[in-house]
Amino acid sequence: MSDVVPPEVRPKPAVPAKPPNVGAPSPSSPFPTQGLGIGVGGGASFLPPSGIPVPIGSHGPVHISSHNVGHGVGHGTSHNAAHNGGHGLGGSHSSSGGSTLLGYIGIDTIIEQMRKKTMKTGFDFNIMVVGNSGLGKSTLVNTLFKSQVSRRSAGWARDEKIPKTVEVKAVSHVLEEGGVKMKLTVIDTPGFGDQINNDNCWEPISKYINEQYEKFLKEEVNITRKKRIPDTRVHCCLYFISPTGHSLRQLDVEFMKRLSHSVNIIPVIAKADTMTIEERQEFKQRVRKELEMGGIEFYPQKEFDEDMEDKNDNDKIREAMPFAVVGSDKEYQVNGKRVLGRKTQWGIVEVENPNHCEFAQLRDFLIRSHLQDLKEVTHNIHYESYRAKRLNENGGLHPISCNDTQESNL
Amino acid sequence: KSVKKGFDFTLMVAGESGLGKSTLVNSLFLTDLYKDRKLLNAEERIMQTVEITKHTVDIEEKGVKLKLTIVDTPGFGDAVNNTECWKSVADYIDQQFEQYFRDESGLNRKNIQDNRVHCCLYFISPFGHGLRPLDVEFMKALHEKVNIVPVLAKADTLTPSEVKKKKMKIREEIEQYGIKIYQFPDCDSDEDEDFKQQDSELKESIPFAVIGSNTVVEAKGKRVRGRLYPWGIVEVENSAHCDFVKLRNMLVRTHMQDLKDVTRETHYENYRAQCIQSMTRMVVKERNRNKLTRESGTDFPIPAMPRMADNETEKLIREKDEELRRMQEMLQRIQDQMHTQKEAY
Repeated sequence: MSDVVPPEVRPKPAVPAKPPNVGAPSPSSPFPTQGLGIGVGGGASFLPPSGIPVPIGSHGPVHISSHNVGHGVGHGTSHNAAHNGGHGLGGSHSSSGGSTLLGYIGIDTIIEQMRKKTMKTGFDFNIMVVGNSGLGKSTLVNTLFKSQVSRRSAGWARDEKIPKTVEVKAVSHVLEEGGVKMKLTVIDTPGFGDQINNDNCWEPISKYINEQYEKFLKEEVNITRKKRIPDTRVHCCLYFISPTGHSLRQLDVEFMKRLSHSVNIIPVIAKADTMTIEERQEFKQRVRKELEMGGIEFYPQKEFDEDMEDKNDNDKIREAMPFAVVGSDKEYQVNGKRVLGRKTQWGIVEVENPNHCEFAQLRDFLIRSHLQDLKEVTHNIHYESYRAKRLNENGGLHPISCNDTQESNL
Repeated sequence: KSVKKGFDFTLMVAGESGLGKSTLVNSLFLTDLYKDRKLLNAEERIMQTVEITKHTVDIEEKGVKLKLTIVDTPGFGDAVNNTECWKSVADYIDQQFEQYFRDESGLNRKNIQDNRVHCCLYFISPFGHGLRPLDVEFMKALHEKVNIVPVLAKADTLTPSEVKKKKMKIREEIEQYGIKIYQFPDCDSDEDEDFKQQDSELKESIPFAVIGSNTVVEAKGKRVRGRLYPWGIVEVENSAHCDFVKLRNMLVRTHMQDLKDVTRETHYENYRAQCIQSMTRMVVKERNRNKLTRESGTDFPIPAMPRMADNETEKLIREKDEELRRMQEMLQRIQDQMHTQKEAY
């Protein structure tokens, strides 16, 4: 840590419900705890410097409290737009009865330093979309990230023929917002579930996911490692459920059963404007029951809830899942505002209106509150279990300096 | 007299689950045929194969009786591997033809039960980009056995431009794959303009974009059948919203007789011709064999059976011969008919 610089540059205030999390630059040191370590309401643990996610554009009070570390500093600070009271006040506010501070140290500036670093390096996010063709996957991804990021928009014809086998195609774009750069990769899976015989159509997808883990593993195991290993692992898989109104289809169950242990699966109900509100509620209940009966753990998985706060937040989300969404890239005028929607003969379906569909909920959940967590669970849990499996075969991997010889030993 | 007897009509509905087939059937005929239906969940459906179920309902309106039979195909297209899932459907249709064929050749022909399928509504999913491989295979397997009327299901999921695009795409693909859907007969040149206009509109509307509902909602002060969404109300019987009215009129009011006629004259006759051909081939083989034994040398003791048959067997043999002769006559008639038809074109 260099000079202690009292934070002068305020993070830009924004209005999301939860503080958005941004990934730390170096993924090579696994974070011991979940990304929402810094949350509203305190009670979080003090993470090692490389592990604190920086809430960019955060709004309200963000508490950082620490347990007794070393010389027992109990220090609670609140960051807000007009930060100045933290210095003096902090000293007397002790969370665990440790010695009070006699002055301002500047530990809280770690947040700012993280933020600056992240802004320089940016971060990666890889999202995969799976579902029958025509369920609006590309449109939804474009709507989520408010830009033309799907494969279709990258110059592919909308009416391409259905491929005979499932293909996996990735397209990357760099998005920038508030000085933060995100390299977003959208991985599409055309051909899934579209044939007459769909046996094993999930295999190419499973193979792709494991290949990304393998790539990362190889880099990690190198003696001369890159400073920042490029992360192509799939952080999140949006699975599109067809809105039949009855229940899950066999293919849905098969796919999710097989892949929920290697990737974070977030089921969504596509084209939700096909169902009335009651039909939607019934359908969701039936789907949730079927997921439970099939032992399918979708993200956020119950077993990874860290503490009561997480559990409560995540329980609420799990109750509301799968989100019934509608996507659109067209704007219409409604009540004087321009909104994204679908115009039919009987009305306009507003995508971001919570009374119409649950798109806004999905977006907040995916991007504004759990983006970092998705990456962490992928790294700490899914990747680790892949790594453990690999290390147990072949009697272990030998770190070698050059990639070629590494192949022959594995 | 035929009005007194009433009409009968058999309608088949086919397509994946969840496309609103049952709702549409109930909406079309204002019935509640699926009241006690139990929806299976994904686990239960793993073991299920395509079933064929039949529901019959008697409808009477203004003194006219209609005995309506709905044939449903639950389980179609629901499995992970749907290879040949249309086979049980094709077999069912053939079975009805066979039963009718036997009845027709039988002795008591006054009260033949006509269970032949007169029309098959095939539900195309609005979520795809046109026809899916399964749709194409199904329609190709059945277009020469039954009148196929393609229907674009759950059309309230689509904006008007999407409906138009999809209809065009589906029509293109139907032509591209050589699928012979039910053709509306051309109207006579001396019909009035209105009628001709309606007729061409009907033809342009294939596949019919339908929405079904049996719940009544309040829209603009009127009580209508529809679906209530937070963003508006879809009225089932509003032509600007969907083609439900067109489909219903076509099916019940204007084209019911034609559907039955085409079933009788084309699909059934095709079946019969195929059947008789294969039968006569078998019979000719039999005859040839018999001829050989009778005419071949008298060294062999001639079996007593054909000669000194008792009454029972003789009667049976005579009946069989009679049947064969009749079939051959029928075959001849069909061939003549086909000849005249060919000449007429």
